[in-house]
Amino acid sequence: MKISNRITAIVAGLCLALPVFAQQSGKDVYTKVCSTCHATGLAGSPRLGNGGDWAPRAAKGVASLYQSALNGTPKGMPAKGGHMTLPDAEVKAAVDYMLASVKDAVKAAKPEVEPKKEEPKKAEVKKEEPKKEEPRKAEAKPAPAPAPVAASASSSVVATEASAADINSFNRLLKPASKRNLPPPEDGIHDPSNDGTHALQPPLTAFSSLPKSMSGNRVNWVEAIGQKKINPRYDRNDPKAEPIVMDMNIVREVKGSMPDVVYPHKQHTEWLDCSNCHPAIFVPQKGANAISMAAILLGEKCGVCHGKVAFPVSECRNCHSKKKDIAKAPAPATAAK
Amino acid sequence: MKILSKLRASIALAAVLILSAVMFVDINDAQAEYGDVVINNYSDGAGMRPVVFPHWFHRVRFRCKVCHADLGFKFQAGGNEINMVKIIDGQFCGACHNGDIAWSVENCNLCHSGKPNTPTQVHESTVQKLAQPSGAPKK
Repeated sequence: MKISNRITAIVAGLCLALPVFAQQSGKDVYTKVCSTCHATGLAGSPRLGNGGDWAPRAAKGVASLYQSALNGTPKGMPAKGGHMTLPDAEVKAAVDYMLASVKDAVKAAKPEVEPKKEEPKKAEVKKEEPKKEEPRKAEAKPAPAPAPVAASASSSVVATEASAADINSFNRLLKPASKRNLPPPEDGIHDPSNDGTHALQPPLTAFSSLPKSMSGNRVNWVEAIGQKKINPRYDRNDPKAEPIVMDMNIVREVKGSMPDVVYPHKQHTEWLDCSNCHPAIFVPQKGANAISMAAILLGEKCGVCHGKVAFPVSECRNCHSKKKDIAKAPAPATAAK
Repeated sequence: MKILSKLRASIALAAVLILSAVMFVDINDAQAEYGDVVINNYSDGAGMRPVVFPHWFHRVRFRCKVCHADLGFKFQAGGNEINMVKIIDGQFCGACHNGDIAWSVENCNLCHSGKPNTPTQVHESTVQKLAQPSGAPKK
């Protein structure tokens, strides 16, 4: 396995020499258009990377899939995904991209996919032809069947285009919306070669019915309980155990112009026990706790949870929510004297 | 045939990963779920994949208090020194993952599902996401 990975590394490296195409890659089109439905299976659409969804469709042949994508289907697929300005070739590329994600499951359709994928590549990379032959030979050793070679080579091409686009993306340090809450095999820390990874629930399937937020995993968990969308157990054995909720707000006056912090015990005790925070993290006494944003950022005090599992510090106004009474501020008073 | 398809999948994945590495996209800036905890205290040494604990999945089903007060999980990734003996004795994960409340320990690969050599971390935590100059050591 490791050897084949190394060989693939060489292949991938060489593929970088390929010219960048003006046309949008299948992956780009998928991300911008198709993923709206095909990421989560909205309206019964086949999901990216889900072999079971795709196998019966792919069995009809890739030409039939192209037709469905271009002209729409009675089941609900809009023609060209509703983006009529997309060139046919880009729609087909997106179909190829989604097929490539399930190529294990749709082996049956492979012979038809293969020639179509070969044509554009040969046309677009004539000059690089000799270079491209080398990696193919090399790769033929670990995987002698012709189908996998074509499949993995074409997915490298797709990746090349996408990476080139990523370099000059709008904000390269910010994760785009399309990369949030990916299913476990694509999320970057799960090992896709582990069978258990594929049995895990993709987060978006769980989140679709929950209230949204602007940060973290984009779920407003406090609202989710408030609206009774979820009812997590308060006792692991007793589904009927009710939380002991304490409704008491603590106001912390803060320096500068920032609004004061209102700390609500209510929302916290919905989830937590008193002993979770007191006395280890917060001494239960007014004025006894020195809290700073720096400490929170580094994972202390509120930062034990906020910035890890609870909403992060970017949501300033969730805590800094009490406007200061400007008239009573000391500065203007001294000026008057 | 299955082995072949797995091989094919891993080749394709490796190609994508390596490409992104070559294009200076940091592999460590992986994209997993906010709050997922990777626990790799002993896994690598024991030849197992590290554990990925999905916080979001558990908080849909249990309030924080159940694990962090009743079961004694400290608020620190890797800080609980969990091992399989403790789990089969009903401590930590084993309090629920006992075939009664949740599926049991024989499903090794459902927890031990992380990429090998992934360090212990709270994934996507603020500390991890602070923009750093390129070349600076990753936290």
